[in-house]
Amino acid sequence: MAPVRLRLPASPVESSLEGRAFVFSAFSVAVLAVVLYGEDYVVPIIALAATAIGHVVSYRERAQKRGIRRQVLLAGLVFAALAYFLADSVGAIFGGVLPQANFAILLVAVTSFDLKTRRNCYSSMWISLAILYLAAVYAWDYPFGVLLALWAICLAGFWAASHLRRMEARVTLPTKAVATALGGALALGIVAFFLIPQANLEPSGPVLVSLPNFVGFRGEMENPALPLIQLSGDPSGATSSVDLHYRGRLGNAPVMYVRTGAPAYWRGLVFDKYENGVWTASKHSYTVLQPYVPPRFLPPAPPNNNGTFVQVFRVMRPLPGVISAAYPIQSLYAPVSALREDAYGTFRTPDVLRPGQTYSVVSYLPNITATELSRDPYVFNPPDENQAYLDRGTLSAEARALAERVTHDHSSNQYELVMALTNYLQQNFQYTQQLGHVPAGRDPIDWFLFDVKQGYCEQFATTEVMLLRSLGIPARLATGYSTGDYNPVLDQAVVRERDAHAWVEVWFANHGWVPVDPSPGFPALAATQFPNHWAAAGIARLIPHLTVGAPMAVLGSLGALAAIPVGVAIALLVTLLWAWARTRRRRTAAARATPGESELLRLYERVQRRLGRRRAPPETPLEYFHGRLPSPLPEGERELLGELTEAVNEGAYAGRWPEPSRVRELSKRLS
Amino acid sequence: MIVGKDHVVRLAAAGLVAGGHVLLQDLPGTGKTMLARALATSVGGTFRRIQCTPDLLPSDITGSSVFNQKDLTFEFVAGPIFANFVLADEVNRATPRTQSALLEAMGEGQVTIEGVTRMLGRPFFVIATQNPAEFHGTYPLPESQLDRFILAAEMGPPTNAEAMEVLARREHGDPIAELRSVVSLPDVIELQEGCLRVVAAPAIRTYIVSLMEAVRSRPEIALPASMRSGVYLQRAAQAWALFQGRDFVLPDDVKLLAVPVLAHRLGMRGRAKASDVLQEVVSALPLPPLRQH
Repeated sequence: MAPVRLRLPASPVESSLEGRAFVFSAFSVAVLAVVLYGEDYVVPIIALAATAIGHVVSYRERAQKRGIRRQVLLAGLVFAALAYFLADSVGAIFGGVLPQANFAILLVAVTSFDLKTRRNCYSSMWISLAILYLAAVYAWDYPFGVLLALWAICLAGFWAASHLRRMEARVTLPTKAVATALGGALALGIVAFFLIPQANLEPSGPVLVSLPNFVGFRGEMENPALPLIQLSGDPSGATSSVDLHYRGRLGNAPVMYVRTGAPAYWRGLVFDKYENGVWTASKHSYTVLQPYVPPRFLPPAPPNNNGTFVQVFRVMRPLPGVISAAYPIQSLYAPVSALREDAYGTFRTPDVLRPGQTYSVVSYLPNITATELSRDPYVFNPPDENQAYLDRGTLSAEARALAERVTHDHSSNQYELVMALTNYLQQNFQYTQQLGHVPAGRDPIDWFLFDVKQGYCEQFATTEVMLLRSLGIPARLATGYSTGDYNPVLDQAVVRERDAHAWVEVWFANHGWVPVDPSPGFPALAATQFPNHWAAAGIARLIPHLTVGAPMAVLGSLGALAAIPVGVAIALLVTLLWAWARTRRRRTAAARATPGESELLRLYERVQRRLGRRRAPPETPLEYFHGRLPSPLPEGERELLGELTEAVNEGAYAGRWPEPSRVRELSKRLS
Repeated sequence: MIVGKDHVVRLAAAGLVAGGHVLLQDLPGTGKTMLARALATSVGGTFRRIQCTPDLLPSDITGSSVFNQKDLTFEFVAGPIFANFVLADEVNRATPRTQSALLEAMGEGQVTIEGVTRMLGRPFFVIATQNPAEFHGTYPLPESQLDRFILAAEMGPPTNAEAMEVLARREHGDPIAELRSVVSLPDVIELQEGCLRVVAAPAIRTYIVSLMEAVRSRPEIALPASMRSGVYLQRAAQAWALFQGRDFVLPDDVKLLAVPVLAHRLGMRGRAKASDVLQEVVSALPLPPLRQH
């Protein structure tokens, strides 16, 4: 039986200079994306320079056979890049994306020395696309699309340069048709722009309508970033409060971008003590932690959880040092100088979070559903022995009666009771952001429940907390941000100022603090659900950028970093071997050459360099002699070049190389 | 003698020295026949002309045996092919059968008539002229027969000055009558032998082979150049080098002859012109490295 040979059909040698320029440009675009978005400079820039050299080498040697030594060297370099990648990714606590991108960039750099055929060029293009894909993980804005478009143009350019030129296709642009199409598309786009409601661009209220808010506006107290919370003293928010009597206006500016596998509430500060319309925290203790918080420092995983998901936050405006994140947290990495965990499980830092800062958090997807919660018994004693969770404050008798009445028929279990109250608030009260002030002397809860019957999230949440406490169920106020504009395709949420939110955390015997949201228009049970099955599925966790954290770091500490010196040593050894083999070959070749050959050819090369134009590969020496030079030659030199050309022709095509003395004579005349 | 067509004359002479046969193609009245006659006359030797017509028979070319009633034997009467220079005028007007008889003689250097093989003259040189195939009443030569011509040249239209010159020379008669032979037949044979001694270095062979391969890889070409064409290219380049007073072939010679030697044998797809494609291949094909060791 004849052996079956699996072989790709031969790909033609790529001789199109423009095509190769497009391949290099595509790579440059990809590297630019990594530099801009990944803020990773060293490897991309070195690799870009190497690739430029590689392209020149590949182009000049495209007609030659591939030498075995070079192939071995390139293979060695690929392995070195792999070793570097492994070392880099085990050391990278923040995620494997940049190591992957760097690896792909190094691959392009190495293979750029071997871009012989059209297929090789296409491979380079596809790796560039992969690099762009990786850079997209860090891309937070629309200009990334421009880079993508540039890449596509490079691909089209390469295709045109390579295929069309070969086929001699005459491509002409039907100007009229293109102009009509472009004009039509533009007109359609303008019409569509006006017809489609621009929800995200709408201000939260027309300027005039929101003017009444200005009456009670107390600028010195408003925090533009955490609008609901009044910060005083410690920027970590330890002494902050939520005052129901007023609130600042909320704008549309993005506060942060969140790359996340699941949309969730980004929980910040938690308050448990309510007094005269003001929420404060009763416990001020905290523990100091390192920027990387491994799971062992955090509460155990919730039972029957649905796995974990990763969020990467990118701060867009100066924010107080509160690490907003989905709860419960499995582990987190926040590159700040000091990380503290307060008594409510919120992470803070005394620093201010600056624009551009990122941190990443791994959170559990808790298995909190209506049926699960229905099994939990009533809790009437406060968790952590903290009486504040049951403190009823100055809740009026009317309010208490209302709570009793609403939950009267729904007390078969705690969950049903909580939901009855939540639904009641959601259905009978109106959500508004245009609320006046609480009249002096009136209790804010009574004012909300019985007078205006409308309010914003703090009113709803505060009322629910107090009503639950009046029924003997431990509850507290949680603040932070709602999901924001979540794009499931990009796995990205844009969180704006107006997404600042407040909700309720209710203690359930078997599930701990469960988020509940009484504000109309929000899900009553606010625990993170399964929005994106893929993100929570096991396979996703194999991809490094979805599973930041402990396992990789452990590997790194085990000494996988040793792969770096080993890889470098291998690469060095291979290079040395190659260099040695090359010199040996040169020497033996020089020994075999007829005397005068090397000298003459070297002189010929020198003359070409001096004339400022090298002989093109298809050009014969005679054509070079008659061809155009950058500057006209003086007569003497022209004669010399003529003699040299003749000598080269005689040598190369008649085998009669000149005596070395004759070459020396020519050389002397040159200088 | 021939005004303004030095290059074509040189090509035809190179074909003679290289020991091949030459095909001249162009419109009627551009001087094909005149060139062939002038070449034949200036070399000396016997010259015969075959005017090809559709009713021309193979025996009209090769000759045939005629019954001699005096001594009751068949006597061979040689046809026009038994000459040193044969001008096959308008070869594509002859029927394929006649064409093949002629071309067979060209290929073998001998003819076999009624079982007797007769050698042709030495040197034996055929110049065939051909009108473009679009003209009525023509039988285009098949590719296999085109392949037997070492090179094909086009006369091309004369410039105005050239046309004036032609008219001036013809004012008082045909100047071809005054033409004398300048080389003798032994000279031609010596030149042919000298041509074989011209060196074609390994680099030139590499260059020719890579040229053939480059031509073969062009998608516009349906029928690529045969091995024979490579041999002819080398031989023609040797002859050309000899003309230039060199005893070795330069890549420039190969470049210059690539179109005349190869263009007429290539079968093209679509409307591509063989000479354009060849020109493009030649101008993009890298030379083998100058360094041989």
